[in-house]
Amino acid sequence: MVQQLTTDTILGRLSESIPVIASQSPTPHRLYIEVPKDRVKEACRILFEDLQGRYTITVGTDRRPVNGKFEVLHFFSFDRDNIRMAVRVFLDPDDLTLESITPVIPGAGWAEREIQDLVGIRVIGHPDPRPLALPDGFPEGLYPLRKDYPYNYQPPLDEGKTFPFKEPPPDATVVTVGPFFPVLEEPSQWRLFVDGEIVVGCDYRGFYNHRAIEKLGDSVLTYNQIVFLAERICGICGCVHSTSYCQAVEEAAGIEVPLRARVIRSLILELERVHSHLLWLGLACHIVGFDYGFMQSWRIREPVMWLAEYLTGSRKHFSINLVGGVRRDIVPDQFDRILSVADDVDRQTNELVKAIQDDTALIARLKGVGIFTPEEVRLSGAVGPTARGSGVAIDARRDHPYAAYDLLQFEVVTHDGCDTLARTLVRIGEIFESLKMIRQCVNLLKDIPVGDLLGEIPEEIPPLKDGMHAVEAPRGEVFHYVLTGYENRPYRWRVRAPSYQNIQSVPMMFKEGTYLADVPITLGSVDPCFSCTERMEVVDQGRSQSYTLEEKDLLRLSRSKYRALKATERK
Amino acid sequence: MKEGFIRKFHSKAFGRSLWVFHTNVGACNGCDIEVLDVLTPFFDVERFGIKLVGSPRHADVLLVTGPVTRPMVEPLKRLYEAVPSPKLVVAIGACAVGGCVWFDTYNVIGGVDKVIPVDIYIPGCPPKPEAIIYGVALALGLVPKKVGPAIESHEIPMEVEDILKELTPSRPVALPVNPDGKNDNGKQDGEGA
Amino acid sequence: MIASKIRQILIGKRAGSVTLKYPFEPRPSEPGYRGRVTVDTDKCVGCGGCADVCPARCILITDVSPFIRIIRRYLDRCIHCGRCEEVCAYDALHLDGEYELATTDRKDLFIEQKLFMGTCNRCGRCYIPPTPLDRLMVVGFRKDEDLDGETI
Repeated sequence: MVQQLTTDTILGRLSESIPVIASQSPTPHRLYIEVPKDRVKEACRILFEDLQGRYTITVGTDRRPVNGKFEVLHFFSFDRDNIRMAVRVFLDPDDLTLESITPVIPGAGWAEREIQDLVGIRVIGHPDPRPLALPDGFPEGLYPLRKDYPYNYQPPLDEGKTFPFKEPPPDATVVTVGPFFPVLEEPSQWRLFVDGEIVVGCDYRGFYNHRAIEKLGDSVLTYNQIVFLAERICGICGCVHSTSYCQAVEEAAGIEVPLRARVIRSLILELERVHSHLLWLGLACHIVGFDYGFMQSWRIREPVMWLAEYLTGSRKHFSINLVGGVRRDIVPDQFDRILSVADDVDRQTNELVKAIQDDTALIARLKGVGIFTPEEVRLSGAVGPTARGSGVAIDARRDHPYAAYDLLQFEVVTHDGCDTLARTLVRIGEIFESLKMIRQCVNLLKDIPVGDLLGEIPEEIPPLKDGMHAVEAPRGEVFHYVLTGYENRPYRWRVRAPSYQNIQSVPMMFKEGTYLADVPITLGSVDPCFSCTERMEVVDQGRSQSYTLEEKDLLRLSRSKYRALKATERK
Repeated sequence: MKEGFIRKFHSKAFGRSLWVFHTNVGACNGCDIEVLDVLTPFFDVERFGIKLVGSPRHADVLLVTGPVTRPMVEPLKRLYEAVPSPKLVVAIGACAVGGCVWFDTYNVIGGVDKVIPVDIYIPGCPPKPEAIIYGVALALGLVPKKVGPAIESHEIPMEVEDILKELTPSRPVALPVNPDGKNDNGKQDGEGA
Repeated sequence: MIASKIRQILIGKRAGSVTLKYPFEPRPSEPGYRGRVTVDTDKCVGCGGCADVCPARCILITDVSPFIRIIRRYLDRCIHCGRCEEVCAYDALHLDGEYELATTDRKDLFIEQKLFMGTCNRCGRCYIPPTPLDRLMVVGFRKDEDLDGETI
């Protein structure tokens, strides 16, 4: 039996080998420790390897107006023991360098590249220190997240500069997927190195969607306006972002949310999960060329959207949260419709799943594709169904209860398959769990007396208090960190969406012998953006020819494999 | 007059076979999902001959979602050129129409019409699938336009107007601005509201 | 395999044709849907509460003289969150559930209102926000950058 961890034991274990400068534990579930600059890597190694913590995110803050220093926070999470903690280090503005932790924790790669781009802290020893977040040709020496950078200043871009892509292995063909004419969703660019039809490596360039959300949050908008900004980070799972942000502010300011508001939050979050998973199921079917599944699962999903519109006033971006509670009540007249939609969706999804689970051609496309082992899950920090499909049972709803999840009974769906099929089955299982929780929420609402939906809010939110909170989104854990500030707005606000970690894990899924036709569904299986599958440019270096593959060609490749499988089926 | 002609021409030229290319230049996915939604059984725009295609070269209509982030400006221009004329550009969602919450940040241009000409604006965050269908129907001249600009003024008493004419400079005076984009007209405590 | 295909056909048969007749038949939005922002200019007193809470910063206020305040609502970037309706103490703003807002001209999504009023010299506004969080600790309003109307 592994020893139960508390904030004290973690602190004790760290103090054995590292001089901890300061520590702070506002609640039994939160811990902030400050370590000397040269021991950060060591501290993170102990937390990650010895104590088996899960790496969450790295945050860089320009604290010069407050104490003349820069600050870096590495966040870790101990899911078994319900503890979240941060390793804090202060940096002198004259010496803005920090030892990289990526060699120990591969999942920290992007986060460190991001603080390099946006805050200007140079990370030493990073295996891949290329730029990440800013557009190509952004002038050097300008760091948008510093406090002296105006939020709306658009410096001229150096047009001659292009992104330094990785060199492909010798004899490999480069297949560029995206970003120029993305069709479905967010733009991003993948360069796949292929040998014939087999993928031998890949490279990623994303952040075409960088909209300066964090900068807006800590310079222009006020606490209650950011709720709506947070919601617009993602169009499919917006409510998780706003809930997570509200909870982080509530934690920092010590605001107590009324029970009724918490139950409503849970209900809406689960409603969102149902529609998101049905949406994903449809898109996954579409990618492998099984449009029947796409149409049917979106048909089942539509009443869920109407229900959301009925309950919250919008089909997406429900705008139901505020710091301290929720804006709309769910009244008894609405219960019947919630329950009947839940029953309908339950019955129809069940029928659909039963019908397609014997579709051997479909299963063959999913089984054994995109293998992702539990060890890789830990290294990359992957979360959500991506991790649970590899048998790693992490779920913020159970591990770090929030909203009303401590009052609900549910199972964390896991699967040991480690492949795309496993991730699909996890999501399907979660649809039924969510429907179960929606019914429980309605029952809870029947019992809770109607009352205030907003908690008591102090006259002023105390400045420079930390708050961090996570919400289990359909795609994994959404993490928000808020450092409260002056003038009714946060000093620093950091968002980590689940895809941030999950997309980093995609290269690991392209195992030796992956076929090009399996790339779209592997990418799709982590539920990121599908835009990538829309347009490809194939440069065959061996023959120094260039030709372009478009969405339909890629789908054709994908679909001809489906047909071939069907043919073998008949024999 | 001119608009009427263009609309007539569009409906004639495109008839019942609009082929649509959909692109995302920095949107949050909300609008993209709603665009996909109009293809699914409940809305099924294929009954109007509208079809989503995979290449701009095949398209008559360009659907754009998103506020146009800076790295996407050039690709969007190239995309517009790739669509053969006559073409319709439809901006979908608050982002594409006016830039949404982030219309003026350091990485956002704020509106598709700042980069390429737009024919139809469909506001909404995100617009309902019905709203998207309505927008396309408006482009085809099937439905009338419902919104119009509103400029309303309180009546100002004559004598005050005379005084104002003397007082007010010809151009409105903008007050000094803080870095956070706010007017600075005095300080006070939080409770004074 | 064949059993699975037969089941799939049955599901489709049972669901039947679900396609809505829209746009040939009107389709009202659900009760409570927020939709378009409308302003009742007779009720508006120009307090600027909506400008303070608007997340998209689409309601901008300029005092062109001590007696005249111009309120411009750039509804092209409106996100239909309904916060303005919530804080309006005079019931002047409403979200009426209308969603058929598509237009060929962006100017159609613009509401300008010129108010003859006196401004409170103490705090620059004249309403009490619903929660302390909505009380800005900074006075005044966001500057309307487009006062000349170049980019409307």
